[in-house]
Amino acid sequence: MSHRIMIIDDEKIVGDMAKISLEEEGYEVETFLNAAPALKKLEEEPFDVVVTDLKMKNIDGLEVLRKVKKLHPSTKVIMITAFANLDVAIEAIKEDVFDFFPKPVRIKELKESIRKALIPDDQTKP
Amino acid sequence: MKIERKIILLNAIYLVLIVIIGGSAIQSLNSVSSKQRFLEIADDLNTSFLEMRLSEKNYFLFNNITALYEIKTNISKANDVLDSVKDDIIPVIGESSYNELKRGLYNYNVAVTEAIDNGSWNGEIADNIRTKGHDLEDTSSRITKLEREHISNIIYRSKLLLFSSFFAVIVTALIVSRVVSRMVLKPIKYIELQARSIAAGDYSKIESPIRRDEFGVVIEAINTMSEELEQREEELIQSKKLASMGVLVAGVAHELNNPVNNISMIAQTYEEMYDKLTPTQRLEFMKKVDQESERIKQIVDNLLDFAKPREPRLSKVDINELLRKALLLVQNSLNVANIKSRVELAEGLPQLLLDENQMQQVLVNLFINAAQAMRPEGRLTVRTSLDSENGMVEIRITDTGKGIPSEYIPHIFDPFFSTKEEGGTGLGLSVSYSIIKSHGGNIKVDSRMGLGTTFTIQLPVNDEEKGRV
Ligand SMILES: Nc1ncnc2c1ncn2[C@@H]1O[C@H](COP(=O)(O)OP(=O)(O)OP(=O)(O)O)[C@@H](O)[C@H]1O
Ligand SMILES: [Mg+2]
Repeated sequence: MSHRIMIIDDEKIVGDMAKISLEEEGYEVETFLNAAPALKKLEEEPFDVVVTDLKMKNIDGLEVLRKVKKLHPSTKVIMITAFANLDVAIEAIKEDVFDFFPKPVRIKELKESIRKALIPDDQTKP
Repeated sequence: MKIERKIILLNAIYLVLIVIIGGSAIQSLNSVSSKQRFLEIADDLNTSFLEMRLSEKNYFLFNNITALYEIKTNISKANDVLDSVKDDIIPVIGESSYNELKRGLYNYNVAVTEAIDNGSWNGEIADNIRTKGHDLEDTSSRITKLEREHISNIIYRSKLLLFSSFFAVIVTALIVSRVVSRMVLKPIKYIELQARSIAAGDYSKIESPIRRDEFGVVIEAINTMSEELEQREEELIQSKKLASMGVLVAGVAHELNNPVNNISMIAQTYEEMYDKLTPTQRLEFMKKVDQESERIKQIVDNLLDFAKPREPRLSKVDINELLRKALLLVQNSLNVANIKSRVELAEGLPQLLLDENQMQQVLVNLFINAAQAMRPEGRLTVRTSLDSENGMVEIRITDTGKGIPSEYIPHIFDPFFSTKEEGGTGLGLSVSYSIIKSHGGNIKVDSRMGLGTTFTIQLPVNDEEKGRV
């Protein structure tokens, strides 16, 4: 069974492009423009990796990170953000974020990060 | 003249008036009391004259020589009295009346002495005594009567004087208080009004004829103050603008990062997946790139408008005409949203010097904001009017929308402040604000939750001088 990846970003193109590249790698990808339906989906079924934008209307990425970790502690969360903010980065690391990407995102690096994220915990740590 | 001096002068005049009144009252009292003193003396004298005449009668009836001696004693007593009170009496009745009295006494004395010396009865001498006695009594009672008249005259005149000065004091008091309040209260009222308008943000100077008094100083101080306030406000606006430039830059960075990231991701995917993409997909990718570039261009345009509002290209514009044009531009959006529009435009407004494009941008921004705040069946009203007092034309744009929460009001003109879920850049009002300011105008908002919002724009009417420039 292929790994399941969730992408949350209110910019539609981000999800679309990431989806094309990641599906090519054989992952199963679902994209969301809003955090609310994404979190609802997560309550129904687990994902292996969640890639979320940090700054979105209504809900902020840190909140998504916390909720995901609460629902599925083993799910890896990767954050992308339009602007780098040290405070937020520290906060995210405390909440056990797996990786952090500033925009513009290098898709190859994202893919690499996801690949690492999918290696079981007892084998490696980033 | 300084107000202080004016008041001192008025008070001095008032004081002099009172001193004059008081002085003349005291003088009347004094002369009344000295005349009173004379009357007392005259009473004594009259009594002794009466006694002399009684003794005279005895002499005539009984031919009694001792009666003549009695007269002589009385005469010398009267003389003594007259001598002792000479200094008191002369100022009252005058020297001639005094001398007349003395002369009367003397003549009487001479007549009586003659009779005594003669010894036996002599009709002629007796007649002489009678005449002289009569003269003396006459003189005395005439003077007394005159003095009594004088006294009542003085009392009458004093009464009149006191009465009329009472009125004079009251009338002067009324006039003085009137004049003082004119002098003091009127300028104070004026200054108060001016202070109010300064507080309301109108820094125009007090225009008043140059005054040399304290108010001149106060007016000058207030003018200097309002000049400084105006300058401070400009500095404040400038620093606010700098602050909002910070907000702006942060906002722009974030705003720009999204489309840049989108283009970058499309390009990466395009490159990597080139072989696997269908021609339609490739076309779609490129269209998206184009759309995202357009997004960047718009942000940059707005940024330029805000950061460096280009000098307005001014031309004479009929504001009503411009409003109608701007309304036509948004008519379609209004129709789609089922919003009615109404115009109430004042006739005969002066033409304004405006940058037509910029002003149209402002109006469209405001119309769109209004439309977005309303539900179907809402109403957009546009009014114009002339505020000739301040030399401003006023444009009011009223909607029946949801209103702006009061905690948002201070922020709506900030760049990137938006409450709109999608598509709101939050630049509309901040750009409009800087355009209106660069036209020398004002923009204000008045909003009631659930009832609607009114944006009021004031634009200066340019005088011919500016018109030629
Ligand atoms: N007529 C109005 N009624 C209610 N709220 C308004 C009105 N006009 C402006 N606002 C509020 O002020 C905010 C800022 O307005 P502004 O025009 O600057 O940005 P925007 O409309 O959100 O974005 P854009 O103008 O780019 O579409 C709006 O998001 C809205 O909350
Ligand atoms: Mg707007």
